[in-house]
Amino acid sequence: MEEFFPQDMFQIFGIGVRDTVVSTWVMMGLVVGIVIIVKHRFPAALEMLIISLSDMLSDLMKRPAEPYLPFLGSLALFIATANIIGAAPMLISPTRDINTPTALSIVVFFAVHYFGIRAMGALEYFKSLASPVFLAPLTLPLEIFGQLSRTLSLTLRLFGNIISTELVVAVIFLLVPLIAPLPLIGFSMFTGLLQAFIFTALAAVFIGEGIEATETDVEANQSTDTERS
Amino acid sequence: MAEMDPGTLITLVTIIVSGIGILLGCILPAIVEGRAVLKALEGMVRQPEVAGDLRTTLIVAMALLESTAIYVLLIILILIFANPLLDRFFPRG
Repeated sequence: MEEFFPQDMFQIFGIGVRDTVVSTWVMMGLVVGIVIIVKHRFPAALEMLIISLSDMLSDLMKRPAEPYLPFLGSLALFIATANIIGAAPMLISPTRDINTPTALSIVVFFAVHYFGIRAMGALEYFKSLASPVFLAPLTLPLEIFGQLSRTLSLTLRLFGNIISTELVVAVIFLLVPLIAPLPLIGFSMFTGLLQAFIFTALAAVFIGEGIEATETDVEANQSTDTERS
Repeated sequence: MAEMDPGTLITLVTIIVSGIGILLGCILPAIVEGRAVLKALEGMVRQPEVAGDLRTTLIVAMALLESTAIYVLLIILILIFANPLLDRFFPRG
């Protein structure tokens, strides 16, 4: 059972490199390779993927998602491949190590503030965090606590779902190694894709919350929507 | 009751608490999820035209509800595989 949890494989300058990190490198190589091949053979497939991602995120954020697509789209692609790569032989899911989800949700935490400041300006953004100014000593700690706790829950949700389904696969594999784990591996891949979707959706919702569209923005978006349709 | 050494006591308490915890952590989210599915099915039957929209919302809501059970599971995994209290008495070599 000890081998189930991430182990140090080798060391670079005294820093341990875990097998999940090596798995991440292999996964990055695979994704880049597949994208290069698909780009030369079927460019329309990539376009379809980007458009469907963009439509999905626009629905979630209730505004055009193009400015946030590079961040959210790469988040979705990374987490989806990281969750399902565990089904491949010799590779393990990078998200099985709690450090990977922690890093991802810290990136989301800072991205929310970055996009908020970029949309509203630094002063306006920090004013919006403590919205009724006379209640600032009460609302500001609550806001900070809410931001930190949702980052923690984002981490634990991804990590817990991945490790629990893979633990179930490992236990069934110990009992019946032949055919029995197959449906559970399929279920684990489905859970991985679902969790990637949920992580991205929550990140989109948090970013949308941080921007807080004014009424004129919403009206402008609605007019562009009607023009598009 | 006979004197127990701290390691045995902690292990015993951990096993009992893990059992109770996973029991509650499975039952309560399952009940709530079942209620969510019930309501969503009623909505789908009443208005079949919004069934697709309801289904995606249902899946997201189910995954969010499921994560409460996952939190319980994580704490119990920590208790069983990396118990911080047990490390105090038997430091890892």
